[in-house]
Amino acid sequence: MSSLPAPDVSAVPADTMRGRSDLRRLLILAIAALLLITIGPAVLPTYLINNLIRAFLYASVALTVDVLWGYTGILTFGQSAFFGIGAYAAGLIFTHAGFSPANAALALAAGIAVSALVAVLVGWLAFYHGASPLYASVVTLVLPIVVAQILYSGGNFTGSSSGLSGFDSFDVSLEAWFRIAGTYLVLLTAVAWLFVRSDAGRVLVAIRENEPRCEYLGLNVSRIKILLLTACAVIAAIAGYAFASVQMVVAPEYAGFVFGTELVIWVALGGRGTLIGPVVGTLLIDVSTAYLSGNLPFVWKLIVGLAFVVVIVALPQGLAPLVMRMFRGGPKLPAGETLSLQPASEEPLAVLAAAGRHAIAVAGVRKHFGSLQVLEGIDFQADHGELLSLVGPNGAGKTTLMRCIGDGAERSAGTIQVNDADIDRKPPYECVALGVGRKFQNANTFETLTVAESLRIARTRLRKPSLWARAASLELPDAALRVIQATGLDQKAAVQVRHLPHGQKQALELAMVLALEPSVLLLDEPTAGLTKAERTLIGQILVELTAQHRLCILLVEHDLDFVREISSRVIVLHQGRIVLDGTVAEVVESELVRTIYAGGPGMGAAQR
Amino acid sequence: MNAAALDVLQLRSGYGEAVIVRDVALSIRPGEIFVLLGKNGMGKSTLLKTVMGFVPQMNGRVRAFGEDVSGLPPHRIARKAIAYTPQEQALFQDLSVRDNLRLALADERSFAPGLERVSGYFPFIQERLKQRAGTLSGGEQKMLLVARALMARPRLMLVDEITEGLQPSVIERLTAVFKAERDGSDTAMLLVEQHVQFALAVADRYAVLKLGEIVDQGAMKEPGAQSRIAGHLAV
Amino acid sequence: MAQVFDVITTAAILYAVAAGLLIVFGVMKIINFAHGGFLTVGGYSALLVTQLGLNPWWSPAFAFAIGFLCGMIIERLVVRPLYARPLDAILATWGLGIILGQLITLAFGREVQFVRSPVSGAIDLLGASYSQYRLILVIAAVAVALALGLLLNGTRLGLQTRAVIMNESLARGLGINSGLVRLLTFSLGSALASLAGALITPLSSVDPNMGVPWLVNAFMLVLVSGVSQLSLGLACLVLGGAQVLVSTYANPVLGGLTIVVLAAVLLRLRPQGFARE
Repeated sequence: MSSLPAPDVSAVPADTMRGRSDLRRLLILAIAALLLITIGPAVLPTYLINNLIRAFLYASVALTVDVLWGYTGILTFGQSAFFGIGAYAAGLIFTHAGFSPANAALALAAGIAVSALVAVLVGWLAFYHGASPLYASVVTLVLPIVVAQILYSGGNFTGSSSGLSGFDSFDVSLEAWFRIAGTYLVLLTAVAWLFVRSDAGRVLVAIRENEPRCEYLGLNVSRIKILLLTACAVIAAIAGYAFASVQMVVAPEYAGFVFGTELVIWVALGGRGTLIGPVVGTLLIDVSTAYLSGNLPFVWKLIVGLAFVVVIVALPQGLAPLVMRMFRGGPKLPAGETLSLQPASEEPLAVLAAAGRHAIAVAGVRKHFGSLQVLEGIDFQADHGELLSLVGPNGAGKTTLMRCIGDGAERSAGTIQVNDADIDRKPPYECVALGVGRKFQNANTFETLTVAESLRIARTRLRKPSLWARAASLELPDAALRVIQATGLDQKAAVQVRHLPHGQKQALELAMVLALEPSVLLLDEPTAGLTKAERTLIGQILVELTAQHRLCILLVEHDLDFVREISSRVIVLHQGRIVLDGTVAEVVESELVRTIYAGGPGMGAAQR
Repeated sequence: MNAAALDVLQLRSGYGEAVIVRDVALSIRPGEIFVLLGKNGMGKSTLLKTVMGFVPQMNGRVRAFGEDVSGLPPHRIARKAIAYTPQEQALFQDLSVRDNLRLALADERSFAPGLERVSGYFPFIQERLKQRAGTLSGGEQKMLLVARALMARPRLMLVDEITEGLQPSVIERLTAVFKAERDGSDTAMLLVEQHVQFALAVADRYAVLKLGEIVDQGAMKEPGAQSRIAGHLAV
Repeated sequence: MAQVFDVITTAAILYAVAAGLLIVFGVMKIINFAHGGFLTVGGYSALLVTQLGLNPWWSPAFAFAIGFLCGMIIERLVVRPLYARPLDAILATWGLGIILGQLITLAFGREVQFVRSPVSGAIDLLGASYSQYRLILVIAAVAVALALGLLLNGTRLGLQTRAVIMNESLARGLGINSGLVRLLTFSLGSALASLAGALITPLSSVDPNMGVPWLVNAFMLVLVSGVSQLSLGLACLVLGGAQVLVSTYANPVLGGLTIVVLAAVLLRLRPQGFARE
């Protein structure tokens, strides 16, 4: 078997020019906005200044909704609750303890602390491993209802339905508040923009696109979501605190779910996932509401409602992309960038192999769905350097067995060890840490990310991504590099994955899994949908992975020619049991296997 | 000249950008049992699903009894007396045998005559009408599937791996039922199979599908057909 | 004893409100956030009957018809295009709820108004005096449950609907027009919401936002029931009962939170809720 040419390490030089010009644009916009905010109070009428202060603060909260929903896919109605917590922290302390610099600091700290705590609690409730998106949204809907009701039932302490008013606050002019609120919004937008474009921000998009894939790349998705929610909660609470300090009025409506849903409406109309869209949308709609709802009270709300429904049905991206297209006159190419690929320094698997007796050790594994027994009495071991194929008719339990090795919670009984470590009941992301890399049956990737971004996500577990920048180079282990270069993906670093042909998507997913530096590779039908040439290539690569890199590969395949060519060992599953475990020659010659596949007499007579 | 029961022309389909069925062409006459053979993952199920309208076509045409059905939704195709039996999740497990049978019909009046017909083939059904379909044995469930397909007097049957996991005696019974239907009602059948012996016993014509393409087809009676088929499906 | 009646009538009202949402959830796998809007439509249909001077016994039928019609229009225009985007469908139906509320406000004004009750006064039952209308509500809720059960289990359309709930793809392969089933289900669900709205308004009043608190409770109950009418009945009894207890012995405002909080926690611990498996 000829080996592939050594990778050309002095790849394409990193192109930071586009990245730098984007940053420059951001800086110019930010400075322009700050200038506008500074001169604003001098030229605008007081009524508008008042409204804009409120709108600025609302827009900051809308920003958090966009990051949570537009980027990460968490539909949340609950950001208003955190806004309300921040507002009431100020309102309660200023009302009952009076205003002083110390109290002001205390109130801010209290608002931040309480909202962070509530966010962690809500996150624990809503983002557990396996929670459905509907349930998460439901919890975010319940939160503001609960908070508002608690405020309603607080008697004189919270002011009940009338809230609290007339408390003392900062001795700051309206114009100054305008500048403070405006600056808060501009800074927040700039920081958010840097964040979502950074490597860490791409992880959020990956979670939205394909959460299971993220878990199997070793990412603790629950924890990421909880952290994100907490950060957004604190940002909303600070906005609420400022709001209470300016208005000197707080009421339960500010924490309620009507406000929470309004935020979602503004984000949807402005354009989810664009940051600028929600900000501008909020400013426009909120200020318009202030002016128009006096003259056309219910018609205005009706118009907004109609616009919202129309946008959801017909223009799910919101209005921002339409507007941007008018300015720029056409869709731009995705702002990807060429990427310098370097070989990573990796733990030689020989060390791992020496440490453990077996790469995989499966003992007494059973799996049932209710009364249906899918796997029974599965016992086998596999070592580093083995290319083990799992074959068997449909429903034999092959994919189920793969799932059990990749996810500790999947099996009903038995033990599974990877590199001598028991996987116990560990969730997928912890199994990845033990050395398991799983490639799914269909090309399971992140459709709107680029090839480069996808690979970077795959490295997240080993190299913490930056929170504000994009790395210009990416280190990949040798195995992943070979796959990338052999299949021509290195020429397509800036291409969005959804534009790749099927064969390259399969290769990309394989490269992503190899980027984890696994010692055990689980492949589920890696050649499905590939052409003959692509199959041959993948086959070569897999053999090389076991021979040179000492991976242990467990492969589920239907293409028995492929199996025959590359495997060192074959396990035949039938009706949930191992019926044969041997070399390729033994299996091919076996009468039993022929019977199973040809469905001849003798087989199944006892069963049904 | 009667129109073909099923005419598949240069059919290409798949999922997303993956092409599974590549330029398949075949033709089935009324009163003919056609077996589509191939190993797992070769595209046989996808072909049936494409004909039935579950998987969108990328290219090609499908004609049933002279009428172009490409792109029609599944329920419209089913109402043209075309019965489809999927390989997995083919029964409503929580509904009774009677309800499963009723669902195959367009109106209630055809139930009694239909039941009489299928009870002739599978007598056990009469006694089990109230039983939940999920509690039947594997073989009985498959027979119920065939019975359901026959309830509405189909002109064309599309059956996906009905013999999987069945006892030889049941397979023999099914062979007899299929032949009786073919001879008595001129029903055309497209059977997807991996079970070579069954195919040999029941089919008039055959085709072998490999990696989405037809690599061999012909009449079962042809000399050499048997050995060619065995060669294609060998492990 | 009055407590027991309270629990039963609360459960009955909750059931009447949630039943329509349950069938929509079962068939279409989405939560129809316009459900609250339809409740309001029903309330105002009853108001219309009162304003036109007609016999108040007409209200439920009138409300049902209007709800059915509105449901059909909305399913075609808004829900159908969002078949593949369930979270967006929830949002769109929420927007619809807002639109319905605003249209009603434009037509009827935003003040609280009152509807004539078909019966009034109380009767003595087992030692406690109880509002006649509330007892009629219980009977009405039971009637709705029975009618729905009969429809789903006794008719051909009901069988087809249950088939679509269990396995839509298989149903389509057998010739069932699942698009039509969805249309009818959504219309029926809206009609039931409207009917419930008409039934509950004589208890208090109508205002353009009356549907909103009911919506949240209703969909928590539906989430906790899976797709079973029986589970829904059980959930209404258990959670409704809890609400009554908390309202009586603790705080009525917190009582309003009981269903919502308990349901959320229950789902976290047992994602199937009250359903069997």
